[in-house]
Amino acid sequence: MGLIEVNHLSKHYQIAKRQEGLGGALRSLFHREYMTKMAVQDISFAVNRGEVVGYIGPNGAGKSTTIKMLTGILVPTSGEIRVNGIIPFKERQKNARQIGVVFGQRTQLWWDLPTIESFELLKQVFEVPDQRYRQNMATFSDILGLGEFLYTPVRQLSLGQRMRADIAASLLHDPVILFLDEPTIGLDVVAKERMRTFIKEINRERGVTVILTTHDMSDIEKLCQRMILIDKGRVMYDGELAKIKERFGKERVLIVDLEGEATDFSIAGAAVIKQEGNRMWLRFSRDEVTASQLINQISEKYEIKDVTIKDPEIDVMIRHIYEKGMDGQADYQQE
Amino acid sequence: MILEVIILGTFKMYGEFSRKSFQRAAAYRFDAWTRIIGNVMFLFMWGFIWYGLYHGKGEVEGVSFQAMLSYILISQALQGLHGAGTPLWEIQERVRTGDIAMEMLRPYDYPTRMLFSDFGSITFYFMTAIVPLYTVLFLVLKPVVPTSFSQGGLFVVSAILGYLIRYCIELTFGLFTFWLVETGGVEDIFYFAISLFSGSVIPLWFFPGWLEQVAGYLPFQGIFFVPNSIFVGQLTGQAVWDALLSQVIWLLICYAILRFVWAKASMKIVIQGG
Amino acid sequence: MVESWLRGISMYFYMVSASIRAQLQYRYAFIMNILGWAMTYAGTAITMWVLLYSFGTLEGWIFWELIFLFALAVLSWGVCMIFFFHFRSLDQYIVNGTFDRFLVRPIHPFFHFMAMKFDVGAFGQFLFSIVAVALSYSHLNLHWQAWQWLVFLGAVWGGTLIQGGLLVAISAMAFWTTRSERLYWVVMWPAKNLMNYPLTIYPRVIQLLVIFVLPFAFVNYLPALLLLGKTSQTMAPFWGFLSPFVGMIFFWLCFRLWMLGLNRYKSAGS
Ligand SMILES: Nc1ncnc2c1ncn2[C@@H]1O[C@H](COP(=O)(O)OP(=O)(O)O)[C@@H](O)[C@H]1O
Ligand SMILES: [Mg+2]
Repeated sequence: MGLIEVNHLSKHYQIAKRQEGLGGALRSLFHREYMTKMAVQDISFAVNRGEVVGYIGPNGAGKSTTIKMLTGILVPTSGEIRVNGIIPFKERQKNARQIGVVFGQRTQLWWDLPTIESFELLKQVFEVPDQRYRQNMATFSDILGLGEFLYTPVRQLSLGQRMRADIAASLLHDPVILFLDEPTIGLDVVAKERMRTFIKEINRERGVTVILTTHDMSDIEKLCQRMILIDKGRVMYDGELAKIKERFGKERVLIVDLEGEATDFSIAGAAVIKQEGNRMWLRFSRDEVTASQLINQISEKYEIKDVTIKDPEIDVMIRHIYEKGMDGQADYQQE
Repeated sequence: MILEVIILGTFKMYGEFSRKSFQRAAAYRFDAWTRIIGNVMFLFMWGFIWYGLYHGKGEVEGVSFQAMLSYILISQALQGLHGAGTPLWEIQERVRTGDIAMEMLRPYDYPTRMLFSDFGSITFYFMTAIVPLYTVLFLVLKPVVPTSFSQGGLFVVSAILGYLIRYCIELTFGLFTFWLVETGGVEDIFYFAISLFSGSVIPLWFFPGWLEQVAGYLPFQGIFFVPNSIFVGQLTGQAVWDALLSQVIWLLICYAILRFVWAKASMKIVIQGG
Repeated sequence: MVESWLRGISMYFYMVSASIRAQLQYRYAFIMNILGWAMTYAGTAITMWVLLYSFGTLEGWIFWELIFLFALAVLSWGVCMIFFFHFRSLDQYIVNGTFDRFLVRPIHPFFHFMAMKFDVGAFGQFLFSIVAVALSYSHLNLHWQAWQWLVFLGAVWGGTLIQGGLLVAISAMAFWTTRSERLYWVVMWPAKNLMNYPLTIYPRVIQLLVIFVLPFAFVNYLPALLLLGKTSQTMAPFWGFLSPFVGMIFFWLCFRLWMLGLNRYKSAGS
């Protein structure tokens, strides 16, 4: 039995329709129409202890909605959830003690207070024993470098610092499960890396089960053995990332800038997908031809100024899955 | 000819702001509802306070209850309209968040643009809330109303002048936020001055003599007291023209101060980045 | 049970002290906030004075009686503000999503939210109301018996709960409409102002409304009758004793409404 069990979970929102124009606005003074938004539709999955699961999907896919149901903030429309045996919305407070939550877009810390005070408040709220609190603070300060801003009010922290503080705050009470909703959003490369290292470490050292949502595929690549891909509230794929790469990651794009005008450009093993002046986009498959072979071929005929190779962005692969499903042909377009 | 085109174009641009904010006001129906509730509650309160004060008295200081009722009604209607514009706290908020600094980069004059935006929301509120509500109230309560076309016309002119005076003062107070970290006190002075000295709830003729004189030297009386008095017929003949003239003079002064403060604020933004 | 209450109370004070420290960071704002409120109320008192200058009395109430009536309401409002004033901005928490944090912590969300702020601006209310009550007490030559002091305390306690209850009820509206701050300013604020004047100037319907539905009358008017030794044609004097009880019942009802709203939030989202 999994640590988290989700069965046929659905969440529908009622949304009031905005009517267009002045007439509509006047009419809606007296009468509103509603429509149902199916944010999550019949989702099932199970997560085992110690896993790091990436929950990904485009904006509005239903990621946050799922996280909110798992943490007990929202009541599901239908379906079942068990988090370590607890039904979150029924025993919300009990559930709160065993989970840590970070919403990347908004802090859970006290805005006007020095960071350390938020930690101390949370210590009280979660009744963390003194000893444990000191140990945790020491560890987190160590890895996350909290020391440099512990006495700065949260509102003055940089986004990266704030995220570090937030994630440390969510782990103070030694939760079994950590939910991270877009923990790397808006961070620069260094800050992202730091965050990932920390999450990895927490998972390895403490066995904390992590579920994180993200847009950023490199989060998934670096952190997750498993990913659950959702779109329009439905699970599109649940499994290893490697499989997806194997299936869709073969096709790459070579971008070449030529010295002169290219006429009748054609190269064996690659298809021109776009042309803008002297710049060409060529699609090729890793199985059929290597990039260096291609470049050689081109340079025999033309003067090359510059080349770039683009791996298929995972986003693109994923968009492909959204459009064609897992079995569709891999004929994506790179923008 | 060219000048005409420019003027027309400018007018069209500012008119666009009015149109936009009209639509916006229409979209936020909840606000319109709640605002009218508050307005009616205050009308109700003052109506009964004056009713209670007049209890068993005929005329006080030469003013009948019917005239006073009319005063309160028209005053509350005007206050409703004023309230539909951008409130002081919102101006302060815009200064603090730097919205105004951004607006200064745009190819229009911000005070004018804000005025036109306010026209839009006020027009909406005027049409959908004030006119229906107060028409009914005037018909039911039958208070004193202007008896001649010219009295009505002068009231409208005076009310518009009053609006512009308040607009200039309010925006000026709002702009002080550029220099003050915390504006709590400024705000309270503003609200107190407006509520007492503008004659919004107590006409100046009921003030103790010395206070009436003080009020007479302040710009605030031009906001509600003058138009209200014209409306209920307490100001007539030459006095009306004097009052209108004083409104115009105050408007010019307030406008000059606004422009001055605005210029200083613009400088501050350009030099120190807000 | 007792233990969890004790824990709750100690946590409340812990959070409150944090909130005070947060507000103290802006020293100038802190002072201006207090002075600003005191000035606002002084402004209303001046308006009352001007009002009665030409007329003398309002339905048999002279200026100092009016001031007492007003100050009594401001006093309990001050206490209420300390604990509940920030409830009016629940809508902001909901709209920008920060309300969720109250639901991922192992304490009661109402309590947690209540502990979020301890509004020290309310000291402006105390400043004004204590001075005003003291002045009117001496100008009116009042000499209260022990029971009248109890009525006074009861009025402050009841008034706190009644006005706090209304703030809680208004904040609960945010769960349905995502609006509460506006609602406070356009509904509760004018309604509160209505109560600064003797109830008898209003029609009978309103009197019944503020006694039996939104029990504002118990905040100041009814206790003031007892405290000023006034009689009213319509109300028996003993009503004034009931403030604390009315307050508790009303607050409880408003709390239930808040919880209802919370449930709706949990099923509909923001
Ligand atoms: N409280 C709400 N009321 C109505 N619709 C909502 C609400 N919250 C989210 N939605 C809608 O549900 C869908 C899923 O939202 P969300 O779970 O936030 O997506 P994600 O986090 O994947 O971007 C979106 O279409 C969003 O507009
Ligand atoms: Mg999201």
